[in-house]
Amino acid sequence: MRWLARRRAAVACVLVALVFTGFSARLIHLQVGKHEEYSAIAASKHSFRQIVPARRGLITDRNGEILAANMPARRVIADGSHIKDKAPQVAEVASPYLGIPVDELTKLLTTTSKFKVIMPELDEEKALALQKELDKKGLRGLYFTQNSIRTYPNGPILSHVLGFMSRKNPNDEVLVGVDGIERSMEEQLHGEDGFRHIEHDRAGREIVVYRGQEKAPRHGSNVELTIDMALQSILEAELENAYRELKPDTAVGIIADPKTGEILAMSNRPTFDPNNLNGTKPDEMKNRAIIDMVEPGSTFKIVVSSGALSEHTITEKTQIFCENGRFLYGGRILKDHHGYGSMTVEQILIKSSNIGSAKMALMMGDDKYYEYVRRFGFGERTGVALPGEIPGLVHPPARWDKLTITRMAMGHSVAVTPLQIVMGMSVIANGGKLMKPQIVHAIKDEDGQEIYRSQPEVVREVIPEATAKFVSKALTGVCDDGGTATLARVNGYNVAGKTGTAEKVNPKGGYMDGKYVVSFVGFMPAEDPRFVCLIMIDNAKLSSGLNYGGLVAAPVFSRVAEKTARYLDLVPNAPSMLPIALSEPSSRKVTP
Amino acid sequence: MSTNRRKEVNQIQLGPLFKWLTLAVMIGGCGLLFVYVKNQQHTLGQETRKVEMQIRETRSYNEVLLAKISQLSSRPALQRKLEQTMVALVPIQDNSIARLVPPATAESDGLLRTAANERFRP
Repeated sequence: MRWLARRRAAVACVLVALVFTGFSARLIHLQVGKHEEYSAIAASKHSFRQIVPARRGLITDRNGEILAANMPARRVIADGSHIKDKAPQVAEVASPYLGIPVDELTKLLTTTSKFKVIMPELDEEKALALQKELDKKGLRGLYFTQNSIRTYPNGPILSHVLGFMSRKNPNDEVLVGVDGIERSMEEQLHGEDGFRHIEHDRAGREIVVYRGQEKAPRHGSNVELTIDMALQSILEAELENAYRELKPDTAVGIIADPKTGEILAMSNRPTFDPNNLNGTKPDEMKNRAIIDMVEPGSTFKIVVSSGALSEHTITEKTQIFCENGRFLYGGRILKDHHGYGSMTVEQILIKSSNIGSAKMALMMGDDKYYEYVRRFGFGERTGVALPGEIPGLVHPPARWDKLTITRMAMGHSVAVTPLQIVMGMSVIANGGKLMKPQIVHAIKDEDGQEIYRSQPEVVREVIPEATAKFVSKALTGVCDDGGTATLARVNGYNVAGKTGTAEKVNPKGGYMDGKYVVSFVGFMPAEDPRFVCLIMIDNAKLSSGLNYGGLVAAPVFSRVAEKTARYLDLVPNAPSMLPIALSEPSSRKVTP
Repeated sequence: MSTNRRKEVNQIQLGPLFKWLTLAVMIGGCGLLFVYVKNQQHTLGQETRKVEMQIRETRSYNEVLLAKISQLSSRPALQRKLEQTMVALVPIQDNSIARLVPPATAESDGLLRTAANERFRP
């Protein structure tokens, strides 16, 4: 009996021991074996990785004028588990700040979701005021995370260069630069977000004591452009006037420094406002200065003149017979506007003779002429730091027919970008050296320390300096009496330039009847050029008899150049064109 | 013997009592200190959070002001202001500008002609 009792007690003890051993084993399993898993679940309930957003860098002009800034904003998020049944009260308080009717907001706030975006961008001031109001009334469930709106203070001015920002994918929260400098300098501008591991209490407040690993954000660098907003405004105003008066399809204007290759102003019409992209047509967003191909027309004659002189195919005094205005070649008749006899290269440029240019190209030969076209930078990207630049279209001689060389010499059968024309003219203005166009002047970090500064970059020496000087002198004659661009003249300065008038290319093949792309590209002062300016107007609504580069684009150039000269404080050095009563300005008499 | 035993039973042993009391006070003190320090940490944490928020708000406010300044000083805004206030700005006429030849800063000897080195002039 006693033995039985002991046995029972022993069994009970063993059973109890087994149960507790089981519990112990389970505890060890939970504490040791499953430690990682459960600690991660526990951590996810009260701790999370908070992103500390980096501030996007500013874009400024060369003088520090802000062109793209950040307007802080807050993203309004509702947490349904904190709002519970107080949606009407929260909606009542928040409605005036969010600008959403109370009923609608109540519906939005009646949610079980812990993360519902109510408004992506709310003004910083309104968000702070709303936060205070909610705290005062003891309501919770609406939270604000940092966000910012990219703003462009100058609206449509320079919009094609600056570009704009958008979401890469519709579901993305982060905006990235998708065009212009915003895109090409994305890496420098966006910076790197920081993070902080934090824990919060039941009320959602951070427990700072338990703050874990953190990394400060690296704010984006500020990008300083070569653009001068004073010149940009001058160009924009004049181009806008021309666009309104002439009602062309498009208009492009560029001002550049020929010695450094810096782009000082770049404008397009039609344009758009990057602050408000709703309703903007894709056509309005095109930076035509680098992505539109046009036949340059007579402005291209500088290539054949320079090439023929450099190769000693002709000399400055060689007389070229211009066939009295009708030149039969390859079974087709090439015409000039007026019938000319024998002319020197200078006169050919001044009179813009198609026949003279074609004959110079023929004298050079296909390969040599093609070499000079390429040496001037046509048919290849200039390498400007703007996205989407195209190389243009210059077929190699192997693909030419018999007429191509004569057509190309006068700027047909070739497609170039407006920026290439500017850089080509800069070769003449810069003593024969082709410069790489620059749009980014400097990059500075958040403390203002310079990370990068652009340096003038010579791509190649295209023609000898003496040839460039001679062509420059000839181009001065283009703007003098008897030239094709007398309307490009600026009082007190010598202007050198070339007009261009080309029939508009039909995308379906051939040319459009009665539609012209007219242009004027010139530099000033001719003796020591400080800027090169191109004005290109596509299909101005004028009669064919008036639609010439010298009549349409040259006057716009003149107005831009006059204001630019005043802004750059260029000392007048040419005889005045004004009547004597008005032409005795003290500025002409440089005081010793 | 019995007297001695009674003495031993009733005697308060100050040594061990003091030892244990000290230990208890120390442990209690440590606990209280821990709680106090923890509270201090929390308070300081809250203050840190408040200061961080203030800094963030100030920075945001600065950015708002910067954006507003750039808006107000932008060229279109200034142009609008000009038109609103009817201020007629006209370009300075060419005959109203007098230009001076920039003064020479160095001569053949390469000396900078400033007031300070004027006495070195031969």
